Amino acid sequence: MNPVWLKQISAVLRLEIKKSFFARRGLWIYFLALIPVLIWGGHWMVMRYKAERMHTHAQASPGVTREKLLSIKQGMTTAEVEAILGHPASSRTVTRRNGTEFKYWTYSDGTTTRNITFRDGAVQRLNTEHAACDLQEDTVIFAGIFQFFYLRLAIFFGCMFVFMNLFRGEILDRSLHYYFLAPIRRDVLVVGKYLAGLVATTVIFCLSTIAQWTIFVLHFDPINRDAYLQQNNGFSHLLSYVGVTALACLGYGSVFLAAGILIRNPLITAATVLIWESINGILPAALRQISVIYYLKSLCPVEIPMQQGVPPPVALLAVNVDNAPPIVAVLGLLALSAAVVFISTRRIKRMEINYSTDN
Amino acid sequence: MAAPPPIEKSLIQLNDVSKFYGEVLGVNKINLAIPPGITSLVGPNGSGKTTLMNLITGLLQPTRGSIEVCGMTPEDPETFFRNVGYCTQFDSYPKGFTGYDFVYSFLRLFGWDHAECEQRAWRAIDRVNLREAASRKIAGYSKGMRQRIRLAQAISHDPRVLILDEPLNGLDPLVRAETIALFREFSGEGRHVIISSHVLHEVDIISDQVILMSSGYIVAEGQIKGVRSEIEEHPMQVLIRCDRPQALASRIFESNNVVEAKVHGDGGGLLIKTRNADEFYLMMNRIAMNGIMVETVAPVDDDVQSLYEYLIDDGGGGGGSKS
Ligand SMILES: Nc1ncnc2c1ncn2[C@@H]1O[C@H](COP(=O)(O)OP(=O)(O)OP(=O)(O)O)[C@@H](O)[C@H]1O
Ligand SMILES: [Mg+2]
Repeated sequence: MNPVWLKQISAVLRLEIKKSFFARRGLWIYFLALIPVLIWGGHWMVMRYKAERMHTHAQASPGVTREKLLSIKQGMTTAEVEAILGHPASSRTVTRRNGTEFKYWTYSDGTTTRNITFRDGAVQRLNTEHAACDLQEDTVIFAGIFQFFYLRLAIFFGCMFVFMNLFRGEILDRSLHYYFLAPIRRDVLVVGKYLAGLVATTVIFCLSTIAQWTIFVLHFDPINRDAYLQQNNGFSHLLSYVGVTALACLGYGSVFLAAGILIRNPLITAATVLIWESINGILPAALRQISVIYYLKSLCPVEIPMQQGVPPPVALLAVNVDNAPPIVAVLGLLALSAAVVFISTRRIKRMEINYSTDN
Repeated sequence: MAAPPPIEKSLIQLNDVSKFYGEVLGVNKINLAIPPGITSLVGPNGSGKTTLMNLITGLLQPTRGSIEVCGMTPEDPETFFRNVGYCTQFDSYPKGFTGYDFVYSFLRLFGWDHAECEQRAWRAIDRVNLREAASRKIAGYSKGMRQRIRLAQAISHDPRVLILDEPLNGLDPLVRAETIALFREFSGEGRHVIISSHVLHEVDIISDQVILMSSGYIVAEGQIKGVRSEIEEHPMQVLIRCDRPQALASRIFESNNVVEAKVHGDGGGLLIKTRNADEFYLMMNRIAMNGIMVETVAPVDDDVQSLYEYLIDDGGGGGGSKS
């Protein structure tokens, strides 16, 4: 390979990486990447708060067991409940204006809490809380947030902003001629800029994926955590999720790089790609393969089961009619991205510097 | 500065070049063969000077015709832009750049290493006398400083063809003289220097060749000496922006180059008419050094327009290209 190329690409990276990381009006990308981290962080805090409260309640109502808690039935009187469970850990009485009296009692054995509502001295409503998270359920929720929010929205729009700006941003800033007047081949410039966008988006979004997963693991109690890491292959999930994140940046990056060169209107582009990616599940097989999400979905480690009653538009996003085998998915996505980048390098050769009419 | 590489093909050639922006005419049927030396493209606003320069450097693609610069085309940017420097009219810069960054980063794109780029960048910056300002952000530069940093970028790789779009615009008389000296030095080494201007007076004495353009066509081409005498018959109107117009007016009337002078409506400038622009600019140099703060000296556009009409109708090439 010609070493001048490499030096030129590294010169382009020098200029572009900083721009991609700290784009003007681009801070919201960090916010998008942060949202799932905040969701899991928030969930973790709530669970810890609950566990602590249960612990205090359990200490305040000694002798309470799970069996005793579950033996409380609707219609029992305060005296009957007190006979089984003893003094409540916390209690509150409210008398309505019409004279009806409500009592709210709480008991806990440390892992399960029951909130009992009495109306005029008889149990009217029972509500049960558990301290431990449901491993299966949380794993699916993680997969759901990752697929529906993170891949389809956060990374999608993050890549759109970063990669479309590579050329469009410079046309709007009227600074693209700076590159076009240097002795660098335009296809080399395209590759250099693409790599710069890739470095920025991959770092931002993969770091977020790692953070999401770490908090997700930390939020489990030790038993569930071990179960997730050992029996459920938690670490291989992490690898898959990070890999899918990187591939998503690669794939969406190429699409939006090309869009920034070929198409003037960013809104139309975004809408078209978004719709195309969303209806992917119902497209014929041949067309389905010309999309980024098809390959990414195939690589996600956890299937999202669709229960009855899920509204069709959501089900549409999740259906995986046929999963490509991992190696095919990875190669397919690489091939798709390479083809799209190649088209960009062809088109850029005919690009004119015509700032005034491009706005 | 090193001598330019041997010139096997030494002409910039445009064969029947036309450029349309959709329906709008940029330039039409341009045939030119430009030899080394200083060539000036002169024409009023919208006459197609920038279009022509952008076509030569590949920023625009011709609708028809072909262009070669000493045997090279922008299709092969690796060779082309090592030999061609273009100082554009675009007054915009990559975000957050200092003057030094602007020149240095451009040179890095050539594939040269840090030391070489650094050395070349400082050499170019020194040539335009911008060393003190080089480490400041371009965003804080004055118009003339921005003009000069772009000039530094264009000459930084020591090109054998230098193309400059209105390079004298916004320069004060002193810097203008230095810049013209730089062009002379460049062209003296057998290189091409192509500059554009809408003021014939400002470039005709320094040019080996002048190309007059109007509405996308070449209306006259060649050595301009014959036209010069006629221009002197036609007074030129100049607007001088300065802090004490009255004081300047009294100074200026000591000279017999000025036929008329009046303070501009807003009180921040002086409008004068002169028959001898060269003398007038020289005089402005002396005044600029004598305590009056002169901000800009610029010909009044309406007047330039009338000069062109005058030239093109009566004096110039009569509307046809004679390449
Ligand atoms: N991007 C564009 N889209 C449409 N028309 C354009 C564009 N750029 C230039 N033109 C038109 O082409 C003609 C030549 O413009 P050009 O900028 O080359 O003139 P110029 O001689 O450089 O003028 P100036 O002295 O103002 O710089 C003008 O009529 C102008 O309106
Ligand atoms: Mg122009």
